[in-house]
Amino acid sequence: MNHNPVNWGRPSDDQYGPYNYQIANASNVASQATKNSQNEFPTMHTQQPMITGASVVAVKFNDGVVMATDKLGSYGSLLRLDDLERMIQVGDSTVVGVSGDISDFQYLQRLLDELLIEDNYDMEQSNLKASHVHEYLRGVFYNRRSKMNPLWNACVVAGFDADGEVFLKYVNLLGVSYSSPAIATGFGAYMGVPLLRQKVENEEDVKKLEKEDAIKLVRDCMKVLFYRDARSWDKYDLCVITKSTKKIEFQKGLECEGQSWKFARDISGYGLPQQ
Amino acid sequence: MQAQNTLLNTEYSTDAQTEPIEHRFNPYQDNGGTILGIAGEDFAVLAGDTRQTVGYSIDSRYEPKVHDVGDNLLLSANGFSADGVQLVKVFQNQLKWYHFDNNKEMAVSSAARLIQHMLYRKRMFPYYVATILAGLDEEGKGAIYSFDPVGSYEREQCRAGGAAASLIMPFLDNQVNFKNQMDPESNGTKRRPLKYLSLEEVIQLVRDAFTSATERHIEVGDGLQILIVTKDGVRSEYFPLKKD
Amino acid sequence: MSINAIAKKYSYKTLAERELEDANEEYEHFVPNLSTMSPSLTLPPISQPTEFLRAHTDDSVNPECKIKIAHGTTTLAFRFQGGIVVAVDSRATAGSWVASQTVKKVIEINPMLLGTMAGGAADCQYWETWLGTQCRLHELRNKERISVAAASKILCNLMYEYKGMGLSMGTMVCGCTPKEGPTIYYVDSDGTRLKGDMFSVGSGQTFAYGVMDSNYRWDLTVDEALYLGKRAILAATHRDAYSGGSINLFHVTEKGWVYHGNYDVGPLFWEIKEKEGSFNNVKV
Repeated sequence: MNHNPVNWGRPSDDQYGPYNYQIANASNVASQATKNSQNEFPTMHTQQPMITGASVVAVKFNDGVVMATDKLGSYGSLLRLDDLERMIQVGDSTVVGVSGDISDFQYLQRLLDELLIEDNYDMEQSNLKASHVHEYLRGVFYNRRSKMNPLWNACVVAGFDADGEVFLKYVNLLGVSYSSPAIATGFGAYMGVPLLRQKVENEEDVKKLEKEDAIKLVRDCMKVLFYRDARSWDKYDLCVITKSTKKIEFQKGLECEGQSWKFARDISGYGLPQQ
Repeated sequence: MQAQNTLLNTEYSTDAQTEPIEHRFNPYQDNGGTILGIAGEDFAVLAGDTRQTVGYSIDSRYEPKVHDVGDNLLLSANGFSADGVQLVKVFQNQLKWYHFDNNKEMAVSSAARLIQHMLYRKRMFPYYVATILAGLDEEGKGAIYSFDPVGSYEREQCRAGGAAASLIMPFLDNQVNFKNQMDPESNGTKRRPLKYLSLEEVIQLVRDAFTSATERHIEVGDGLQILIVTKDGVRSEYFPLKKD
Repeated sequence: MSINAIAKKYSYKTLAERELEDANEEYEHFVPNLSTMSPSLTLPPISQPTEFLRAHTDDSVNPECKIKIAHGTTTLAFRFQGGIVVAVDSRATAGSWVASQTVKKVIEINPMLLGTMAGGAADCQYWETWLGTQCRLHELRNKERISVAAASKILCNLMYEYKGMGLSMGTMVCGCTPKEGPTIYYVDSDGTRLKGDMFSVGSGQTFAYGVMDSNYRWDLTVDEALYLGKRAILAATHRDAYSGGSINLFHVTEKGWVYHGNYDVGPLFWEIKEKEGSFNNVKV
C-alpha cells in the first residue's frame, strides 16, 4: 500500500509492480490473427476467434420472427468454408443464430443437443422454449467469461416462450443480453440494424410489419451486408418463425438477388471521391 | 493516451499504432444507462432509463434494468449489464433461501447487508456495477441504499448511479436535500429547512433529471422506467425519453 | 469420502450440466461459517490476479479504468487524560468524482470499540463489521470483553492473510478496557499493527498532524480535546481536496464511546475562522 499522502491507500508499484495498461485496455474487437499473439497468460484460453462466421440478422414481424445467417466461414481474410449453416433449431420452439468462432459454435451445438435430449427424457412433450434456451446460454456465456475462458460467439435466440409468445433476444461472449424488435450481431449491428429500425423502431411497429415485408427487409439487409462487409457472403440461410401456425421454416441456400454494384464505381479509397 | 487502442485494427492502421493492440480477453464492458433512487416519507422510487449501449451503438431501446425482486424491494445494478443481471438473479435466489429459513419477509436493512456480502465476495474480481436498493424500513419510511462496486454501502435520501450520475447527483443535492438553498426570510443566514417531498414532486424530479440527462449524455435515453414502492406494494410507470 | 463425493463420482452429468456446475455455487444456500463469518473471496482465474484487479480498479494511475472504488480520507485519533478523541471527515471519492459527502467513517464495531475508515471504503466497512462479530464471539466464548490489543490483532492477522492481494485499509481501532485504559491501535492492509498515542491516517494526514502537534497536551480537558480533533480535521478538509463534507466527532471512555455530533465543514470553517482569527489566507 502506498503511504505517500498524495496517493494514500493506493497500490504501490514496489509491491505490485507497474500498472498494467494492457489488461485495462484489452479489447474484444475481433481482428485477424496477428504477429502479436504471444501469450503471457498461461491459464487463458480462446484469445481470439479463428474460423469465424459473420452477422446474424433478425427482426420481429406481426406474427413471428425472420432470421438470417450467411453461409461463409472465414479464416482471417481467407474464405475458408462456403457451405456453413449457422442457425440451429433446438426442439420445436427455438432457433439459435450464431456468429463468431465456429469451433465454439459447434461446441454450443453439442450443448444444446444435450439440453434437448435431457428435456425429452423428463417430459411427455417438449418443454424447452426459446426463453429457456436463452437463459441457459446466458448462464454458460457468463460463467465462461467469469472463468476468463470465453466461448467467442454472439447469439440471437428466436422462437416461442413458455406462454407461446414470440421471443427474440441476444446474448454474447460476455453474457450481455438484451431484447429488441430488431437485432443483428457483428457488422450487422452497424449496417443492418439501421435498416431494420427504419421499419421496426419499437414493438408498436412490429404489429404493422407483415411476414412478406419482414422477409424482404432481412433479405435486403443481407444484400447490403454483402456489399460492404468484406467477411460476408451472398449465399445465406433464412428462417421464418410463425406464431399462428407454430411453425419454424427454413429457406436454405438463398442468394442475394437484384444486386447492383453501380455505387462501387464512384468509390475510391475510404470515402467520397477525392477532387 | 490509450485512445488509439480502441480503433479497429485494419491493415492501414498498423503504421499509426504506437503499441501493439492487445488480444487478451477483457471480461468487462460498459453498457451505459443511469439509475436514480429517491426516498420519501412513506414511499421510495427507483428509476432507470431503458437504453442499453456498447460504445456508440444502441443495442436496445427497451431493456428494463430496475427490478421488483419481491418483499417490497426494488433493486437495480447499473454498469456492465451482464454483471447487473447476474447480481439481481443471485439476490432473488438468496431471498428464496431466506424465506425457506425464516418464513418472513426480508427487511430492507438485511437485504442491504446481504448485497454487501454478495458484492464483497467478488472483491478481487469485482462486479462492475453501481447498485441501488429501494424499499421501506421497519417504521414504514422510504429507504434508499447505495453501493459501490465492491460493497461499501450507505443509506441515503437519494442517489443516482451509472453513466449520468455526475449530471443528476448535483441536481438532486439541491432539489431533495436543499443543499445551498437558503431561507429567503433569513437574508441568506439560515438554510432552507428540510422536508419530505410528496410522491408527485418526486416523480416530477425524476422525470426532469432524466430528460436533462438525456440531452447531455449519449448513453441515456429512449425510455424511463419508474418503480414506486409503498406499503400497498410496487407499481410501475413508463415515460418515453428522446430517442436521439 | 463423503456420501456426496461418492454420489458425485458415480452420477452421470451431461456436458450441458457440467458447463453450469461451478456457476451454480453462487446460487447455493449461504450458510455462514461461525469460525470465519466471511465468504471466501473469488479470484479472477488468471495468472496475475492482483495485476488484473489493479488494472481495472486503480483510478489513481489510470483515470480511464472502468471500476472506480470509493475511497475515504482524513481520520485521526489521539489519547489524552480524559480518554480518546476520534475525528473524521465524511467525503468519499471515486477518481475526482465526489461519490459521497455523508460517509460514516467511524465504524461502531460494538458499544465499546470504534474503528476508523481510510482507504477502500468497502474494505474498511466490511472487515470492521466482521471484526464486530469476532469480538462478540470472543465475549460469548470467554465471558469477558475483548481487549483492544486482541481485537486489533484479529483484524491485523486477517489483513496479513490477504497481504498483497489489493486490499486497501488504514484504520485505528480505539477502545478503553479496565486492563489497558484508553488504547489506540493502528492497523493497515500491509499487516502493520502499531500501538500509539496519536495517529492520523489518509491523504489529509499531514495537515491534521500539523494542527494536532502544535496544540496537543496530555492534560487537555475533554472539551479542548474534542475541539482539537475537530479543528485538525477542519484544517485537513481545507487543504486536502480528497477530504471534506462534514466532521464526525467521538469520545471514548471506559463507559464506551459517545457521539459528539456532525459538523458541516461549510459553516464550521467561517465560524472557527471568526472565533480564532485564523485562516487569514482566506479573505472574507
